Amino acid sequence: MLQIQQLEKTYKNAAEPSLQGLSLQFSDKSIAGLLGPNGAGKTTTISILCGLVKADAGKAFLLGMDVEKEREAIKRRIGVVPQSIALYPTLTAMENLQYIGRLYGLGSTLLKERINQYLQLFGLEKSAHKAIRYYSGGMKRRANIIASLLHEPELLILDEPTAGVDVQSRNMILQFLTEYNKLGHGIIYTSHLLEEAQQLCDEIAIIDHGRLVVQGKPVELMQEQQAQSLEQVFLQLTGSSLRD
Amino acid sequence: MRKILATFINESRLFAKDLAGMALLFLMPLALTVLMALIQDAPFREYQDIRFEILWVDEDGGKMARQLGAELDSIPQFVLIRKLNDQLLTADKAQELVHKGNYKLAVIVPKGVSAEVANSANQVANELGAKLGAPGKLPQRESRQVALEIYFDPVIKQAMKLSLLNALEKQVTRIQAEIILARLENRLDEQAADSSGPGLRLQEKLQAVQIREISSGQHATAELTTNSVQHNVPAWALFGLFFIIIPIAGNFIREREDGSLMRIKMIPGSYFTILLGKLGFYIVLGMLQFFVMLAAGALLMPLLGLDSLQIGNAFGSLFLTVLVVAATATAYGVLIGSVFQTPNQALPFGAISIVILSAIGGIWVPVEILPAGLQQLAKLSPLHWALDAINELFLRSGSILTVWKQLVILLIFALLFFLIAGITESRRRR
Repeated sequence: MLQIQQLEKTYKNAAEPSLQGLSLQFSDKSIAGLLGPNGAGKTTTISILCGLVKADAGKAFLLGMDVEKEREAIKRRIGVVPQSIALYPTLTAMENLQYIGRLYGLGSTLLKERINQYLQLFGLEKSAHKAIRYYSGGMKRRANIIASLLHEPELLILDEPTAGVDVQSRNMILQFLTEYNKLGHGIIYTSHLLEEAQQLCDEIAIIDHGRLVVQGKPVELMQEQQAQSLEQVFLQLTGSSLRD
Repeated sequence: MRKILATFINESRLFAKDLAGMALLFLMPLALTVLMALIQDAPFREYQDIRFEILWVDEDGGKMARQLGAELDSIPQFVLIRKLNDQLLTADKAQELVHKGNYKLAVIVPKGVSAEVANSANQVANELGAKLGAPGKLPQRESRQVALEIYFDPVIKQAMKLSLLNALEKQVTRIQAEIILARLENRLDEQAADSSGPGLRLQEKLQAVQIREISSGQHATAELTTNSVQHNVPAWALFGLFFIIIPIAGNFIREREDGSLMRIKMIPGSYFTILLGKLGFYIVLGMLQFFVMLAAGALLMPLLGLDSLQIGNAFGSLFLTVLVVAATATAYGVLIGSVFQTPNQALPFGAISIVILSAIGGIWVPVEILPAGLQQLAKLSPLHWALDAINELFLRSGSILTVWKQLVILLIFALLFFLIAGITESRRRR
């Protein structure tokens, strides 16, 4: 599902490189967690995978395709949920989704069907005609995910999808991701919430200072590090000093 | 095409949700245009049909003084006031009224002016007659110094003062010349009294060349000249049109900041098609705004006592010109939205740059009256070329055949703006 080889990236005027030879891989159709403290290089990695940032060196493959050379083909097969609510706040959820669906080239009937299906699934059908700016944090997150699902991507990449949401919304989102994965879709997601990652992910990669620290199944990693939780593994490997 | 249309509809929806913003986008330029046309109406009329009052004190009472007064009376620009409260003005009273600022100008024709003109005419006629061998001599004496006195308020504009001085000088010279010619003609006619032919008619012969006023427009008449409405409505409408860069730049930066751009860029297909939809919407909006301003110029201005805007007959050329101008303004908005990182950087720069480009581009005052250096600088402003094209269509009855050069230059500006925006965006990816 994902292969990264010796990825390097230093932003212009940055004091330190964001990625320093990062290499990792996730197996097909799994739920994979890309974890790391602030400034570890998670967002840079996601941005390179989405083609929004160009790597200085190294290679990255999504679904077996080179992210630099086969960007268009990749776009058709993946969905990206950005960390921020990438929706027009003054438009209703329905209007936002209609626009995004049309950009994906979905026909009117299919688009209507998908919008209704996902609004119902995410509990937003009653608020479909309400402007996004009047949504609660959890509702915004759910709408943000729906916008990336309309074309039913093979692989869903989510950047902190549960940040700042209430317990019910978080539970609902995680349940959906599990169900979506069961339908044969791969999921890569980043999170600060290690308990959530432990519960959800088939495999994880912890990165820090732009390098891979460790990779594997959560249970195996806990055994290897003789830790009770993934959080303990994380702190043992990345240290407990504060990050900016 | 579906993406372009979907984006166009989406931008329309976004715009329609902000009713206050939508109203302001039309009302503010309208208020500005109306206000500027009203404010600048007086200065424009000053050189055309404004009449200014002149206190006229004739202490001479002679033929020449009366003739001079009558000649000035016939000039529409001047209103000669000879009496106030049914009393003839005196030199002291006129001087006092100008000093107090009640009137701007006073002309005193001192006693003896007519006699002095007649005397000098006799002197000239005698001298010329003697040289031509005419008999007899007109009465003459030694010349005395007399002068017309002009009092003026220090706040009066130089142009107004010069206008009066020129008119006085012209009329005095003309009256003097007429008297001299009449005297000379009489003397020469007396000399040839025995001949049966017609008189010399010197004055008629000296009026061989006349002046006819013709406007430079192909089909224009002399009546269509620039006025406050004709200058201000297109000029400030263009200014308002360029202010569309504010919502465009804000929109681009907001999309980049809130991640919408990331989502849009992750959608298969070229981002350019989505960009076209956005640009198409803003171009249509800019054109609509401009035509609303023109409609206000044609229909609203006369209700405010101003002239009606004349837009010529080249509607197709006008549409194409406004399309190119709106595309250039939109491209500038994209440039500002791409180059600057935050709204706090982009919006003040965008707004102030439009003010600067409009100032050097001839929106505030016609480029022709700017210093030579600034006239060259004006060529760097797209607003200059836009206004030049519009004036060509409105005032010189131009068409696409006469404004193509301005449109090509505007398109070069637009392409340059897009190119820089594209390079900036691609660098951002690195």
